[in-house]
Amino acid sequence: MKILLIIPAYNEQENIEKVCNNIKEYNEKNEQKLDYIVINDGSKDNTLKILQDNKFNHINLVHNLGIGGAVQTGYKYAYENNYDIAIQFDGDGQHDINYVKNICEPIINKQADMCIGTRYLDKTSSEFQSTFMRRLGKNIISFMIKICCKTRITDPTSGFRAANKNIIEIFAKDYPTEYPEPESTVQVLAKKYAVKEIPVSMNEREGGTSSINIWKSIDYMFKVSLAIIIDSVNLKKKGDVRK
Amino acid sequence: MTSNLKIALIIMTFIYLFLILKKIRNKKLQISFSTFWIVSSILLIVAIAIPNLIEILTKKLGFEVPVNMLFCITIFVAFYLIFNLTVRLSKESQKNTLLIQEISLLKNRVMDLEEKVDGTK
Repeated sequence: MKILLIIPAYNEQENIEKVCNNIKEYNEKNEQKLDYIVINDGSKDNTLKILQDNKFNHINLVHNLGIGGAVQTGYKYAYENNYDIAIQFDGDGQHDINYVKNICEPIINKQADMCIGTRYLDKTSSEFQSTFMRRLGKNIISFMIKICCKTRITDPTSGFRAANKNIIEIFAKDYPTEYPEPESTVQVLAKKYAVKEIPVSMNEREGGTSSINIWKSIDYMFKVSLAIIIDSVNLKKKGDVRK
Repeated sequence: MTSNLKIALIIMTFIYLFLILKKIRNKKLQISFSTFWIVSSILLIVAIAIPNLIEILTKKLGFEVPVNMLFCITIFVAFYLIFNLTVRLSKESQKNTLLIQEISLLKNRVMDLEEKVDGTK
């Protein structure tokens, strides 16, 4: 079983070394080895230098593409190198390497094609506190997905997700680069693949800043809702669903 | 319109047309984009040259005054043009994304291969 961690990194000089070393540590302790590929999305700080100096396996995007474009590069890499499972893993240390096993399990057991690591399924297991606005946004997106795809996804913006070979192929060829997390979920659901959610706990951001303000959020919500509606209609029409 | 003004306008429009053709000749404007500009300049010349054309059109289309019609048409055309540009821009940015991804993947592969070659030497 070949498993790849796709780690998009934009200006992550504080965290990236730790994230990669955690993976190495994990590989020493566990039998199921994890390969990783860091996608340096045109960082302006020393991220690239750190990656080169430590000889971490990385792809350096020649120009900044945004998270969606960076992650798709990872899926393309996974597709070209014939990986069985690809896992999106944040470069800022938010995701816990020990949960990789959990989100791979449903895919290995063929219960799901894509598996999302969710922060809210079990409130006690998650130490991750989030603001009211964030939760509201998540609930709206989740509601939109429920209407359009008739499936409840509690945490559609979670960036911690695993995909099997079929999904890797789909994402390598066509990945929504504008609003990647919710849109790709819709894409998978509309093609009638099985999506499963697994509770995970996430660490607080260990460095770097998250940029959110009210107008940006409203604009984001509007565009994401539109994207979800259009995607679900589009993909259902196309009819290239799972046999 | 006085004939002096008419002549001045026609000369200006010809300069406009000449500038467009020059840009095409210097390969600064693709032919596929140029149709709109050439057609628009020819239409301008026709509108200025033929007496009362604008007035007749205004009456036929039911506008109160010629200015209204001209503004209306220009704004519609401008909107269409801007919309078209955003569509083209989206297409270009998609192509760009694809190119950046493929180049970066290739660079990674080349580096891996170089390392392997160096290792066997």
